[in-house]
Amino acid sequence: MNQFVTLFVGGLFLGAIYSLVALGFVTVFKATHVINFAQGSVLLLGAYVIARAHESVGFALAVALGVLAAAVASVLIDAVLIRRIRRADLGTLAILTLGVDILLATELSRRIGTDVLNIGAPWGSDVTEVAGIRVATSRVLAGGVAAVLVAGFWLAFKFTDFGIAMRSAAEDGEVASLMGIRLNRVAATAWALAGALAAIGGLFLTSFPAAGVTGSVGLLALATIPAVVLGGFDSPGGAVLGGLIIGVVSVLTAGYQEELSFLGRGLGGVAPFAVMLLVLLVRPSGLFGTREVTRV
Amino acid sequence: MHDLRVSYAGAVKALRGVSLSVPEGSVVAVLGNNGAGKSTLLRALSGTLPASGGAITGGTIELRGKALPRDDAASIARSGLVQVPEGRRVFANLTVEENLRAGGLAAPDRAKRAEARAWVDELFPILRERATQRAGLLSGGEQQMLAIGRALMASPQVLLLDEPSLGLAPKIVERVGEVIREINARGVTVVLVEQNAAMALAVADHAVVLEVGEVALRGTAEELAESEAVRERYLGVSTQAAATGTRVESSAQPLAVEALSVRFGGLAALSDVSFTVEPGSLHALIGPNGAGKSTCLNVLSGVYAASAGSVRYGSHELTRLRPHRIAALGVARTFQNIALSPRVSVLDNLLVARHRLMRSGFLADGLKLPRARRERAEHEARVREIAELLGLTELERPVGTLSYGTRKRVELARALCAEPELLLLDEPVAGMVRDESAAMADAISRARAELGISVLLVEHDMTFVMGMADRVTVLDFGKRIADGTPATVQRDPDVLKAYLGAAA
Repeated sequence: MNQFVTLFVGGLFLGAIYSLVALGFVTVFKATHVINFAQGSVLLLGAYVIARAHESVGFALAVALGVLAAAVASVLIDAVLIRRIRRADLGTLAILTLGVDILLATELSRRIGTDVLNIGAPWGSDVTEVAGIRVATSRVLAGGVAAVLVAGFWLAFKFTDFGIAMRSAAEDGEVASLMGIRLNRVAATAWALAGALAAIGGLFLTSFPAAGVTGSVGLLALATIPAVVLGGFDSPGGAVLGGLIIGVVSVLTAGYQEELSFLGRGLGGVAPFAVMLLVLLVRPSGLFGTREVTRV
Repeated sequence: MHDLRVSYAGAVKALRGVSLSVPEGSVVAVLGNNGAGKSTLLRALSGTLPASGGAITGGTIELRGKALPRDDAASIARSGLVQVPEGRRVFANLTVEENLRAGGLAAPDRAKRAEARAWVDELFPILRERATQRAGLLSGGEQQMLAIGRALMASPQVLLLDEPSLGLAPKIVERVGEVIREINARGVTVVLVEQNAAMALAVADHAVVLEVGEVALRGTAEELAESEAVRERYLGVSTQAAATGTRVESSAQPLAVEALSVRFGGLAALSDVSFTVEPGSLHALIGPNGAGKSTCLNVLSGVYAASAGSVRYGSHELTRLRPHRIAALGVARTFQNIALSPRVSVLDNLLVARHRLMRSGFLADGLKLPRARRERAEHEARVREIAELLGLTELERPVGTLSYGTRKRVELARALCAEPELLLLDEPVAGMVRDESAAMADAISRARAELGISVLLVEHDMTFVMGMADRVTVLDFGKRIADGTPATVQRDPDVLKAYLGAAA
């Protein structure tokens, strides 16, 4: 039982990180209708910049640089590649971002090589004990940061002018532009936010208990795709919940690996996708997604 | 605006040199049938043409002597020219208050915003009451009020309204008219695009009538309301005597629609409508936009389900049959928007319709067995006959390369190739120039005479309908308001009121 609770709480904290990345994914999809597969390599870019910069400029400034780099890279993808073909087919745009992802990830892995770069977090490999459960300090911090950011997002979406512009544009871009809302600006903001969230996610995904920044960190972000699909693609709340579910499922299946060995090794990597499929069988639009309505 | 030309996808010419000057502080109505170019005109003004694949190919648009950008909707809105889109299009998942805030984002400053907000409260007290509700929950009329309020939040100098009365009850339409006048009284210039000529002419100072992308008539609202030419366009009262169609020999059975009702949620699209299409007759179903004509056709062809009432074709009850079963009974239809495969030749598009008549399976056909080949040759010969009847040549050309009018005739031919007994036509001449429309009328009459079919025709173009129908049923707001021969319907006071308002 104790093991279960430990794993469950650990899963929630990991899930919080996934939630952040997934939230960026959904923000971009809502604002520009692009399924942004480049999110993974942008995450890697953020983590890479932090890992490279922290020795010379200190950790705090390195994080700021990493977040900025990821946000700028993300905006560039939109402004240079996506903007001019905004009305292209959903699939075309998704494949375009896949291509960007491959390019960026390849270049970064080439630079990293076989090294494992230390992210340089001051909390290092500390462990915090909460109510008898031992969790890595970085994960607890990740949970706190995620909670603050998600709450901040929610408030901004709900109450600020920017939030209203974003939601109007998401609902009906053409009408929003008739109301004087500048769609390109809304799109750029959404992409910047997604990049920033990816970098923060990258920071925590490469902190202890993970070893550090390797060329394959971008692949870790793949786990957010089932989270997004599960939550329902266009629902920020769904992305957060989806992230938490995927975090818990992957930690639990990894933790009970021995008991579940009849299902084969490495179940932890597969389980998120299995859960995603199960949810989609029951709710084809995800937990909170808008059902696609087509009129003849 | 001067000599404005717009085309879609480089091919379809939607506006052919329209010039229009809107004096500051006036209300100008733009009238015209479906496909006349009204919405295109607004799109050109508001910079939303690229979103629908259109482009301005010539001409200029100026606001107070300054040229407007061509495809930057947001900065056009910020410069004071704000559009209320057709079909209201409020942000359904945002609250009423948030919708108004979204509109206010284009306002020049905070003071203007607050001023506009106070004005909107005064104009539409109902919006204040429902401020925290999601806009999607409002009724159609309230949504229209919200859409107008949202646009007013931007403190516009010029307000463009696209079909604000569409699908609304007469009382609400009246209220919309009052609101437009109040808005104008505050010094806002209004451009009103309407199919409801009655409402538009009552509100406007000046009006223009567009016809297939050109200005056909212009003048003050009073002049146009009195004008014979407008009556002719809207009611088809023409100087030539309406041709009383001769009944043709027909193997068709009567189509009896009885007490038909269709509801979409709380909205009654059709209520208690009855009429009968006699065998071999040409029956027209007319009415203003939103009257329920297309809904009716969709029930007859099995696309929509009826909420109550019955539709019988001969002894068959159609309301419970799937669309392909109805087609198998010999009921064929065409669509308002062309539904052909553009890359496939005319001949192949037509052969598709023979599907229900072909006997050989796909294996026999694929292997080109002699029987299948003989069958195909027979069908092809019949298809060529029908095509000739409708004046279609060049059967090998891909449909996508043909003109709009010809494509509409191909669609008619495809429906006829299914050898129907009853043909349902949905706006066969929408957006056509006079010659094309005459060719279509000719094609329909000839097909009816030669093939002995009954035709149910839904159409906006009154001249077209009155010239060829045997019998006319008029719908307004989902109810039947008249039924009779063209001559009686044209004189019916209710019909005059529905089309031209009480003034007529």
